[in-house]
Amino acid sequence: MDLTVLAYPFLFAAIYFEAFLLVTFLSQPAKDARDRAISKKTPMVAMIVPCFNEEKTVGGTVESLLALEYPKEKLQIILVNDGSTDATGKVMDSFAHYAQVTVIHQENGGKHVALNAGIDAAKDAEIVGCLDADSFVHTDALREMISCFDDPEVGATTAAMSVHKPKNILERMQNAEYIMGIALRHILAAVNGIYVTPGPFSLYRRDIIEKIGGFRHGHNTEDMEMALRMQQAGYKIDSAPKARVETATPRSVPSLVKQRTRWTTGFLRNMLYEYRGLVGNPRYGALGLIVLPLGFFAIIGGILMFGIVIYQLVKEGVNTFLIASGVPLDYTVSTIVPKLNAIEWFYFPLTLFTLLAVVAVVGSILFVLVGRKISHTPANLGVGILGYMFVYGLIAPLWLVRSVADVATSTRRSWR
Amino acid sequence: MPFYLRNALIALLITVAIIATVLYAVNFLNEQRVAELRAIEDQLATDTLSIETQYALLAEAPCEGLEGSNAFTTELGGLGDRLAFAEERLGATDPEVLRLKERYTLLQIRDYLLTKRLARTCDLEPVVALYFYSNVPGQCEDCDRAGYALSYLRQTYPDLRVYSFDYNLDLAALKTLIAVEKVNAELPAFVIQGTRAYGFTTLEDLEDSFPEGLLVPASSTATSTSDE
Repeated sequence: MDLTVLAYPFLFAAIYFEAFLLVTFLSQPAKDARDRAISKKTPMVAMIVPCFNEEKTVGGTVESLLALEYPKEKLQIILVNDGSTDATGKVMDSFAHYAQVTVIHQENGGKHVALNAGIDAAKDAEIVGCLDADSFVHTDALREMISCFDDPEVGATTAAMSVHKPKNILERMQNAEYIMGIALRHILAAVNGIYVTPGPFSLYRRDIIEKIGGFRHGHNTEDMEMALRMQQAGYKIDSAPKARVETATPRSVPSLVKQRTRWTTGFLRNMLYEYRGLVGNPRYGALGLIVLPLGFFAIIGGILMFGIVIYQLVKEGVNTFLIASGVPLDYTVSTIVPKLNAIEWFYFPLTLFTLLAVVAVVGSILFVLVGRKISHTPANLGVGILGYMFVYGLIAPLWLVRSVADVATSTRRSWR
Repeated sequence: MPFYLRNALIALLITVAIIATVLYAVNFLNEQRVAELRAIEDQLATDTLSIETQYALLAEAPCEGLEGSNAFTTELGGLGDRLAFAEERLGATDPEVLRLKERYTLLQIRDYLLTKRLARTCDLEPVVALYFYSNVPGQCEDCDRAGYALSYLRQTYPDLRVYSFDYNLDLAALKTLIAVEKVNAELPAFVIQGTRAYGFTTLEDLEDSFPEGLLVPASSTATSTSDE
């Protein structure tokens, strides 16, 4: 049985989503967002850095906040030590002499508890922001993001994330993915389709947070839960594609799988439990009808496509073994090698499946390049794009399968 | 209409256009493949006629000047490989594939007859194997293995001429060949140097079906040639 036929709905969905992104990218609201001038307004901002055992990076994070081009009297920096067991607390205290900086030490309660403690301490702030303690903002990032709040309906805004000094192949792959994420959030913001305000750097209107309630555990994805709650309450989530922030990412496959399992189970649990009413609901526009349903579809498709590839490879391998058994191996090799070297177009596997897959891959590459262009991220993306397009597909099923299994069996895993 | 819905509809149109274009491209490529097969077949038909004409012209000395007969058989093998690929891609029931397969079968039968004629007249001893297979699911479990083993033998022994026939092909000339060679529907079936054999077990057993000393490996031919 040829299982590739099962892959067609997912290829169709992938191409459709890319076409939707392209049309929206070229539409006027997205163009206006790209051309948006930096606002002259300087509302009171409190940047909260929730932190657990980040002694190596938190100093750099705070220094990047201190270097922000923003009136010092309008920027409060709140460092929340969430019961760290390393030297994080000491590093934080070393910044306490800055008038802008407030340091809070508390028992470990989780990221959402630390964020809420920071919000409580930021009584005068009109805008509160979250910056992970392994992330570093560019000097103009805050002003870029503040511009989004010129629209009174905007409740939160996201930044343009990329990987901090990517070195190994895994980091380069994630860098390509993050840069594509810049394009995606910029485009989806035009149709209010953003469902996560990433921890590395996002801003929120304080009064809206007070109205809808502070951060929650959110199945270990408090940033997604907050964004979904804002969407549910009818607020807009915007994106500032030129507000650059660099963040540290997993450097090994096991840690990447752990992180992505957390993200994916968080998505599935939020969708299946608290925010099921958003999925397929026309009241939530593109988010309800396109983005969230396709999020589910992508998880199923990722697992299924991987399964199909494995099935086909095993089937072909077993078939070749059975057919070729008894015939000298060098003959089998000699029949395969010319096929691999064959430039003859006649034997080129240009099927409906391969060509549609090529279209989908080219679309993805296009959005990585769009992300780089609109954010002005200086990145050499060659290796990263190749890895992201062709290696990610092999490891992503690890966390997709694990996440679905965890949700199905109600397995809870720790953050780290 | 909401802004996102307008974009969603335009995206749908674009997606349909992309898929239609890809479908058209795949179809176009398949047509080009069939056209190439047709061109090869036309060339082979001309070659067959040419060899037969040479044979007729050289009635006095028919065994001279018939160079190219082996090249013709090699070309026929190449056509067979392409046809098998096209059959896999377009499906065994595709009318165009069936038509090409019929022509290919006819060319094989003509080459087989010509080889036999040359052997008789010129005192040659070609090594010939007729191979009958079936693509009908469940009718021939060992056909893939048998076909692969024959391909190996064909490469290992350059003098071996293998003619493969789809037993179920609805072609009068093939049915006549089956009747003349008295081949039963027990597949895979072989006619090796005029002797019928059924079923496939191992490569060694298949090799043993050939009369002893008839199969000469490629390296032996090269050695004997250089010795001369």
